[in-house]
Amino acid sequence: MPSTPLLDIAHVCKDFRGGVRANADISFQVRPGEVFGLLGHNGAGKTTLLNQVIGLLRPTSGSIRLDGADAVADPDMARRFCSFQPQSPTPAEGLTPRQAIEMMARIRGASRKEGRTRADELVAALDITEWADRKSDKLSGGVKRLAAFGMTVARPGHVVMFDEPTNDVDPVRRRLLWTQIRELADGGSAVLLVTHNVLEAERAVDRLAVLDKGAVLAQGTPTQLRGDQAGRLRVELVSIDPAVAAELASAFGGVVTGRRVLASIDAADCASAIARVQREQELGRIDEFAITPTSLEDVYVRLVGAEAPEGVNDEALVA
Amino acid sequence: MRHWSRSYYFLLKWNVLRFRSVLPLHITVQTLLSAGVVLGYAFLIPHLTPANALYLSTGGMTISLVMVGMVMLPSTLSYRKETGLLEFQRSLPVPRMSMMAADATMWIVVAIPGLVVAMLLAVLRFHLRLSPSPMVIPALALVVVGSVSVGYTISYLVKPVLVNLITNVIIVVTMMFAPINFPAERLPDWLAAIHRFLPFEYMAQAIRETVNVPRAGVSALPFVVMTIWAVLGLTVATRALTRRQ
Repeated sequence: MPSTPLLDIAHVCKDFRGGVRANADISFQVRPGEVFGLLGHNGAGKTTLLNQVIGLLRPTSGSIRLDGADAVADPDMARRFCSFQPQSPTPAEGLTPRQAIEMMARIRGASRKEGRTRADELVAALDITEWADRKSDKLSGGVKRLAAFGMTVARPGHVVMFDEPTNDVDPVRRRLLWTQIRELADGGSAVLLVTHNVLEAERAVDRLAVLDKGAVLAQGTPTQLRGDQAGRLRVELVSIDPAVAAELASAFGGVVTGRRVLASIDAADCASAIARVQREQELGRIDEFAITPTSLEDVYVRLVGAEAPEGVNDEALVA
Repeated sequence: MRHWSRSYYFLLKWNVLRFRSVLPLHITVQTLLSAGVVLGYAFLIPHLTPANALYLSTGGMTISLVMVGMVMLPSTLSYRKETGLLEFQRSLPVPRMSMMAADATMWIVVAIPGLVVAMLLAVLRFHLRLSPSPMVIPALALVVVGSVSVGYTISYLVKPVLVNLITNVIIVVTMMFAPINFPAERLPDWLAAIHRFLPFEYMAQAIRETVNVPRAGVSALPFVVMTIWAVLGLTVATRALTRRQ
């Protein structure tokens, strides 16, 4: 790997008027070819950080360097160096997806032919040909989001940032989108990806940082973050009511969200845990349960608390 | 420069594509408004002198440009601000002034038929013999730059929910309480004094005197004041566009 990261964020703090601290001493680096995830609850400070990289906000302190150059001092350079998909699905507003992608390629310097070719490529790659020439006000939220994604990668910068790119997108096209993100990184871009979908992050990123209340709680590869949890198993169950959930959470040393219990157990205790939950199910005290290898979600929950992140329901619970 | 003009071209194209379906309606309404100001105000004056007619027809032109710059532009910008599109455009590698110029261009095009109609009414309806000066071009340009930069400043610095309130105040002031369609002497002294510091009176005077040059020639003062307003407006608007919280 080259010694200079394309994106180098060092000790960035951001305080808004009224004393709200959105970012607290955030540091990480993203190198060419790397997909870096920023994971956290709503309001964790992820979007604020991206807006500082692209020059829409100014850090209160700390530095942001793009390939060694000071992005805070030169926001125009930052905007040339980075491409950015915001959280709102509006970038393509008033345009058809094809027009939007071509327009963005051309604004970033592509010739007419290059712009058209790239738009055709992305429309096909994201499987939105059916809607490619339909105005955005007649499109679903998912297609609008895919069009915004296409605009961002139409002629990407060296650093490409996505803020919740898969929101509203159907599962099949999400995979197409992840393929494009991986291709982007393979092409040498540094990709910074904001999400609060833990499951997707686990599959898609090379490294990630977990943010909570503006601060980085942990960072590393998904395997590094699992750490000593790697040899453990996750017990996930849905009880019949919150009181039973609290009792079972206490028994397994887990956390409760409504009727749902999430706990981490040692692999050696697997047999006894299965016996216990089967007994509880026979007694009619739990509706369903699953015991699986520890995922990043468990680590995430342990780090930031019991508030359920997105993606939990994506996994089938096996009873 | 090439980057600037390229950005300007594509941002303008973006605007036109976004508004393509409603542009004819905007042009129609803006033209009717311009004609309406000229003809409607004429009903209020029983014996229309050529001087009154000149005030009305050139006032219609001024009001038309002020409306697009200070009313239509901030209204559409505040919508873009609310939906996040403006913030997205600010994240693109495009010069800030090219964004402003692309917005202004579209609304000027919307206003042009209204300007022509006001001139035609002056000639056909009021039988005025106009003696225009080449200075009409810089006069119109300064009115446009002043209106657009004030419009931009409003939409950037004011919360979207308040933009309509402010633009409504501008409509009422320009239509009824600004010396655009009538001489400043008809206003109460205190209001006339305020208008000495606002751009409206000078905008109207510059257009009036360059559309039909008076014997004494075109006054320099309106150009000086409008230039000051244009520089001030552009400075504030550019700062608003580039500022980072």
